[in-house]
Amino acid sequence: MVAPAQVLLLAFILGPALYVVWISLQSWTYGRPPRFVGIANYAAILGDVAFWRAFWNTFVVTNAVVYGELLLGLGLALLMAGPVPGKRIVISILLAPYAITEVSAVVMWRFMLEPDVGMVNYALLSLGLGQIDWSADPVDALFVVSLLSIWHHVPFTFLILYAAVTTIPNELVEAATIDGASSWQNFWYVKLRLILPALLIAMMFRYIVAMRVFGEVWLLTEGGPARLTEVLAVYLYRQAFKYHEFGAASATGVAMLVISLLIALPYLHQMHRRMFGHAAV
Amino acid sequence: MHITRRRAAGLGLMAGLVAPLASPAILRAQSKPAKLTIMSHAVHRAVATGAKAGDSTAEWRQRQGIELEWITFSVEGVHERVYREASLGEGAADIAFILERFGGPHIAGLFEDLGAYQKRDPIEAFDEIGAGMRAAHTYRGKLIGIPYRHATHGFFFNKLFLREAGFTQPPTTLEEIIAYAEKLTFTRSDGARVNGYALSMDDPSAMVDLIRAYGGEFITPDYKILCDEPGSVKAATLVRDWYRKGVLARNTMTFKTEEVITAMQQGRAAMTNQPFGRFVNYNDPKLSKFPGEIEVVNFPMSGSTAAAPAKTSVWAMAIPSNARNKELSWSLIKELSSRRNTIRAAANGNGPVRPSAYDDPEVRKLAPYSEAEKRALADARLVLPGFEHVAKAMDIYMEELQKAMLGQAEPLQAMKNVKARIEPLLPKT
Repeated sequence: MVAPAQVLLLAFILGPALYVVWISLQSWTYGRPPRFVGIANYAAILGDVAFWRAFWNTFVVTNAVVYGELLLGLGLALLMAGPVPGKRIVISILLAPYAITEVSAVVMWRFMLEPDVGMVNYALLSLGLGQIDWSADPVDALFVVSLLSIWHHVPFTFLILYAAVTTIPNELVEAATIDGASSWQNFWYVKLRLILPALLIAMMFRYIVAMRVFGEVWLLTEGGPARLTEVLAVYLYRQAFKYHEFGAASATGVAMLVISLLIALPYLHQMHRRMFGHAAV
Repeated sequence: MHITRRRAAGLGLMAGLVAPLASPAILRAQSKPAKLTIMSHAVHRAVATGAKAGDSTAEWRQRQGIELEWITFSVEGVHERVYREASLGEGAADIAFILERFGGPHIAGLFEDLGAYQKRDPIEAFDEIGAGMRAAHTYRGKLIGIPYRHATHGFFFNKLFLREAGFTQPPTTLEEIIAYAEKLTFTRSDGARVNGYALSMDDPSAMVDLIRAYGGEFITPDYKILCDEPGSVKAATLVRDWYRKGVLARNTMTFKTEEVITAMQQGRAAMTNQPFGRFVNYNDPKLSKFPGEIEVVNFPMSGSTAAAPAKTSVWAMAIPSNARNKELSWSLIKELSSRRNTIRAAANGNGPVRPSAYDDPEVRKLAPYSEAEKRALADARLVLPGFEHVAKAMDIYMEELQKAMLGQAEPLQAMKNVKARIEPLLPKT
């Protein structure tokens, strides 16, 4: 008898995933039935300059976001683990961005970054620092996308790392201090080693989710100017919902799935060894 | 046969289970739906049910005892949703509004042949509806949409800004527009920065006015691509130069129609080319800082005061082949297409598909640009003909144009790239 969990897994995850793989092998658009074309869609997207540009942009943004969040989240977690007046209120403020919907957040920041008249650019101009030219400069645009994503998602990383930091036994830290360890040595040799598993989990989750960055790019630039700020999710969206090329869109989705699996594979392998490694003995 | 209570209950239960399965069509045919669902852009709902000149659907709804549910989307969004619904076994749309450039022979099979409906139960004075507009929604002899709205471009300018810059009359040639645009890029006495021109960049609609003003074309109705010829290259060069000089806003490349409207309403742009019907938006005292100051005329040619062939688009009402209430859908289409309701919608700001609507005194009063729009319509051309890869073709054009604006390619090379990339996507004629 198949357990309910397996049924749910099959019906809502494996089934649709296999369907997407099947579509990726077809040429399919509105008004025509699907036609088997083998790996032609994969060849088409891998031969498309726009795909590789989107891949590179996704790589840059994902790494900027993940490491930026980890550093910021860890710093905040260590800070909050110490004596902070009004800690509960401060933590609530830190978590607030996560409660805002992505669309609201991007629209809000877009207004603040409006060239010439937006609050942020106006202030930068007044200070003689120029403007963040996100609408015309792809580098500035990807910088803003990364900043937005970090601002929005750092509460998630902070929560995981804060929970890990607060479980560090005080005795270990005290013992290290008594043995002459400086603050930095305490952090590097004691605390970091103990929170490493939580750090790796946060990193893996953020990598997988950050790879799917869409809202920040679409609502800010729609991948422009000249498709120079497009990321893989926007590329997929364009194929499916603008060009109605479902085969190519599905092939892009499968490619993103493979990349996500490759990122998760080392951790899953480690987890499997830890859980079932002793069974071989 | 002796009927026991058990047998009677069993027979009754079977009848109750089988009857709906056996005759759904009969059941549906016998009962009218509570509502019809229309999928469209918000502008169609606004002009069809507007308060200014009245609701074109009111009498029909009362006669039929059926309500209407309008589900509105963006221009691209409505097509994505409509085609998706029309591809299902049974769809939710009873009437779909489609734009000609998102159509094509590849989707014709998703919609009913309205020529057959027209023969059986004709629309009033059908021949009055522009032949070109009907042709725009006819594929291989199959009429899939009844034209309802045209969106034809005119040239808008802010009279107050012209006066402030020392101009005593509006520009009458493309060269004058270019000269005015540079002078109208200025900072007002209150510190507000004004750009001389605003262009929407979501598709080539605004660009084709400039291309045609230079005597060029983008893609001809028989699918020849001419974007690397002088007219088109000059238009791309002009936009590149405007961007470099600050005549276009720094964030122009993110501008959609909504941003252009806001820029004109808020006084951040002095001139633009947009559908004539925007006159209402630009002069609305509730939304615009310059009510009564935004004027519209025909877009002029280069080197001449003659009007350039204006860009037009034609929205039409279609019935998906999987719609549930086709006869009722046709009945509503007939109602909305009547002479009286065409005038009503025109007075509400619609681009009427019957030229006779422009002669109506109420339309002339509520839409003072009627004469100019009628003139523009006479020579207007579609943005480009519909075909399967039209969305990709438009994106390619905008991508290469923006590369030229950013200085990553010279305009001629950019247009050559456009031709090389779009040509393989065009239908073979």
